[in-house]
Amino acid sequence: MPPRGFEETVLPHVDAAFNYARWLSRNDAEAEDVVQDACVRAMRFFSSLRDDDARAWLFAIVRNTWYSRVSRRAVAAEVLPLANTIDEPQDEALDPEARLVQQHAVARVREALDRLPVDFREVLVLREIEGLSYKEIAAVVRVPIGTVMSRLARARERLLAVLKQTTPVEAVP
Amino acid sequence: MTCDDVERDLDAYVDRELEPGAAAAVRDHLESCAACRARVAERQALGRLVRSAPYYQAPASLRARVASQAAAPSSAPRRIFVWAAAAVLALSIGSGAALLRSASARADAVVDEVVDGHVRSLMAEHLFDVHSTDQHTVKPWFLGRLDFAPPVADLASIGFPLVGGRLDYLNGRPVAALVYQRQKHTINVFVAPEREGAASAIDSRSRRGFRVRHWIRSGMSFWAVSDLNDAELTDFARALQSS
Repeated sequence: MPPRGFEETVLPHVDAAFNYARWLSRNDAEAEDVVQDACVRAMRFFSSLRDDDARAWLFAIVRNTWYSRVSRRAVAAEVLPLANTIDEPQDEALDPEARLVQQHAVARVREALDRLPVDFREVLVLREIEGLSYKEIAAVVRVPIGTVMSRLARARERLLAVLKQTTPVEAVP
Repeated sequence: MTCDDVERDLDAYVDRELEPGAAAAVRDHLESCAACRARVAERQALGRLVRSAPYYQAPASLRARVASQAAAPSSAPRRIFVWAAAAVLALSIGSGAALLRSASARADAVVDEVVDGHVRSLMAEHLFDVHSTDQHTVKPWFLGRLDFAPPVADLASIGFPLVGGRLDYLNGRPVAALVYQRQKHTINVFVAPEREGAASAIDSRSRRGFRVRHWIRSGMSFWAVSDLNDAELTDFARALQSS
């Protein structure tokens, strides 16, 4: 099979890379910079990519890029301002009242996730939103699979605790 | 199995990462334990809630910058080197592998086309020719546009709603593309008649960060492709295969 170009392989995953970077940094401008830097790196390391794992491979590069930026600035992730210009996705099929309830739920989940420590937030995003397997998460985060499992468990306990301070989870559609 | 064991495996069970034997043991325990059932239900509800969180899409300007980086001339010398290396490798393994290659190379080429088709449908935002969640609208739409009638099933009841269909091309012929949704993930299913049509089990592959499932049933070849995780895409393929 002929080798595929960078463009065909990596561009389809730019949305996923941005989503992950946005959840890591909680800031639109920062996430854009991280993804652009990560793509420059990805191009340099492109020959090290096995054919079947482009998305997880790009996630790992995004993660390294983000962490090296954070440590270079020597500031904690928590210092970054939270972007507040967010277009929450809307379900057009819902009536206005239901949509309002949904918007409220979506905003609440986003805030709760944003308040989690970044180690917890990223495993939840990779698992639930990006749908990665434990094995893939382990490769991205560079920890053993057992650690992925225990970290997810603790992340979910923490998230449940945060959410339960307001509304019971079962009450949300 | 005790409640403590279930507690330990709770996340792996909900994430379907347990070995089949261990998952069966948890299921057995759940049959008779309401407290653990409630814990599982709570985890599942939490998963649905997290999946309702925003999916941040890359701004068009970022996508354009990355694309222009990719097209920059600095990568040209390296590309020549890669081709040269590939040529040497091809020469050295050429003769011995030639016999083995035919069938799997053919399948590989189709997998590539399937992934290309999926990516094209998402990037060009040409996902639908017919945008409908009703299988009784989608199925007749293909009549007169194809020389075969693709089976169309809606799997909304198990969380994979049909959202539409379009004409696409695979292996040099027009095929039906059915589009399903799983939360933020799009699944394309390419359907084409299969001449050597013995029914086959589900074949799993992955390519460039996308996962592909292929099976043959009732004289039709099905290719399901998505960036969904392995477990869920397999669930989807099984459900569609037996629908």
